[in-house]
Amino acid sequence: MTADEIRGHIDPIRDQFAEGRSLILPALKFAQTEKGYLDGADLEAVGEAVGLTTAYVESVATFYDRLYLQPTGRRVISVCINLSCMLRGCDELLSHLTGRLGLPSDGGSTDDGAFTVQQAQCLGYCDRAPCLQVDVGETQGPMSLDDADALIEALRAAPTPDRLWR
Amino acid sequence: MPQRHIVYLHREHPGDMAQLPEYVKAGGYNGLMKALADMEPDDVLYQLHRSGVRGRGGAGFPMGRKASFLPKDSPRPAYVVCNADESEPGTFKDREIMEFNPFQLLEGIVLAGYAIGSNHGYIYIRGEYEHQARVLDRAIAQAYEGGYLGSGLLRSRFDFDITLYRGAGAYICGEETGLLDSLEGKRGQPRLKPPFPAVAGLYASPTLINNVETLTTVPVIVAKGADWYATLGTEKSTGTKVFSVSGHVMKPGNYEIVMGDTSLRELLYDICGGFRPGHDFKACWIGGSSVPVLTAEHVDTRLDYESCETAGTYLGSAGCIVMDDSGCIVRSSLRLAHFYRHESCGKCTPCREGTMWMEKVLQRIVDGEGRMEDLELLESIMGRISGRVLCALADGAVAPIESALRLFRDDFVHAVEHGSPAREPMAPMGA
Ligand SMILES: Cc1cc2nc3c(=O)[nH]c(=O)nc-3n(C[C@H](O)[C@H](O)[C@H](O)COP(=O)(O)O)c2cc1C
Ligand code: SF4
Repeated sequence: MTADEIRGHIDPIRDQFAEGRSLILPALKFAQTEKGYLDGADLEAVGEAVGLTTAYVESVATFYDRLYLQPTGRRVISVCINLSCMLRGCDELLSHLTGRLGLPSDGGSTDDGAFTVQQAQCLGYCDRAPCLQVDVGETQGPMSLDDADALIEALRAAPTPDRLWR
Repeated sequence: MPQRHIVYLHREHPGDMAQLPEYVKAGGYNGLMKALADMEPDDVLYQLHRSGVRGRGGAGFPMGRKASFLPKDSPRPAYVVCNADESEPGTFKDREIMEFNPFQLLEGIVLAGYAIGSNHGYIYIRGEYEHQARVLDRAIAQAYEGGYLGSGLLRSRFDFDITLYRGAGAYICGEETGLLDSLEGKRGQPRLKPPFPAVAGLYASPTLINNVETLTTVPVIVAKGADWYATLGTEKSTGTKVFSVSGHVMKPGNYEIVMGDTSLRELLYDICGGFRPGHDFKACWIGGSSVPVLTAEHVDTRLDYESCETAGTYLGSAGCIVMDDSGCIVRSSLRLAHFYRHESCGKCTPCREGTMWMEKVLQRIVDGEGRMEDLELLESIMGRISGRVLCALADGAVAPIESALRLFRDDFVHAVEHGSPAREPMAPMGA
């Protein structure tokens, strides 16, 4: 994404922060929506828009789980593996999903670029365990294995969103 | 023993309280109108003090006291920061407030700002809660339109702005100084304290940082009075508390109860419908996962801060994770160790290395490759973490595992001898 596009997103909120550096997360999150991850040029553009070095931007970006510096599938499925979900069978849910998509048991991306499945820490939907989240959509659960199958079908049929919010 | 709603008023109001007119119809903004019309900031501060309300994010520090630590003569602007990072395992209470009763939270933030002489509040919400963030975006826009935010709000001379800030996935950004660094555009690593945020918080300015549930309580305290509020609960645990209950109970969910009125047994069996036929209670982590585990011996513990401490644990965030006798305490401990290892920000060596070793040794035991000496090794690893680190994540990592090893020793010995049973099966139950 270009620095100008990023500026277009952060300029309207600039005056809400005493220091411009606070704009780095909004900028990174927005820059990521173009491809679903950030490459070197994106980090540079964020740096230019916010007024920080690329090295600094990268050091911040690597801190957060939901900022990706490697390509991701068009849809990212985050399966909660924390304790509440474990007690309700998330391990089986995860292995079912990864098995069905032909991925390593702890997650990964499909060769066709359609999906990334990843383990997530507590998503805050423990009352609906086992739960999972697609991109930043509302977390869903409790997920049976049939629900998981239906979800994959529905996602395959759905158009790719314009912006890949992660 | 019945539930009682102070922060979950949306459960009693027939309309959609995420819409401003419905919130007002339900008595919303009475607290703010009262404060702006008849109260000085110090009067509001005094009410917070007097109410005894304690922080609901985990540490339970009295809110009024914390607010009074802010210097009155600072040349810098003061800020209110609402901690909506809600990432403690088993905790999902703030999610419901933000989604269904967002205006009460906004009103609480404005009132807190009025009390400490601040004109700007930030809500730091975890990135995974985008759905709730959008509800808040709408609510904030409606509040500006209605004159409940902005300059000269409610035709007074008080100005207040609220900015919503989205995180990007990091448990440690729930720790208050990690949060502030993240909000300042840095890696979200905890700071050395002191100075505390009250003195040098956001942008090195005086900052009051409180949890969503804490701030959502404020409008009720102001509208109905601290004395009324303090009649609920016990002397040291006033008011209500939302318990997020998950795991092996029939009816997981959020339940708001008056503190001290209800026992853990009543919460589990009467409110949450008990366990599957043929199964019974084995263990629970009552305050989120970062607290010592409780056993069947403790089910008569009353649900308030001091009773939890007597039982050897902490009320914490009241994210109560429950396990029945089908669960394996060793594998549960491993799962938590994995979490803390993943979330340690790496700034302090004892935490970074210690959580890594805790996971390694527990993994070995679960895989059936453990040795008896591993149990002492675990204890010694944990003993070398506490007191040598910057923030409470490390203590939170040790607490559930140290206590499990002590209270369920036989299970660990059995796991060393035989490994742990295969992975948890799907356990569909309840709704
Ligand atoms: C590792 C760690 C994670 C935390 N996560 C949260 C959180 O997600 N939400 C929260 O309100 N407090 C969290 N806290 C507690 C905060 O540091 C702080 O005590 C709290 O926001 C103060 O608000 P309160 O007094 O209203 O509870 C966490 C603390 C630690 C050490
Ligand atoms: S105790 Fe752990 S999480 Fe906290 S600052 Fe140190 S390394 Fe980071």
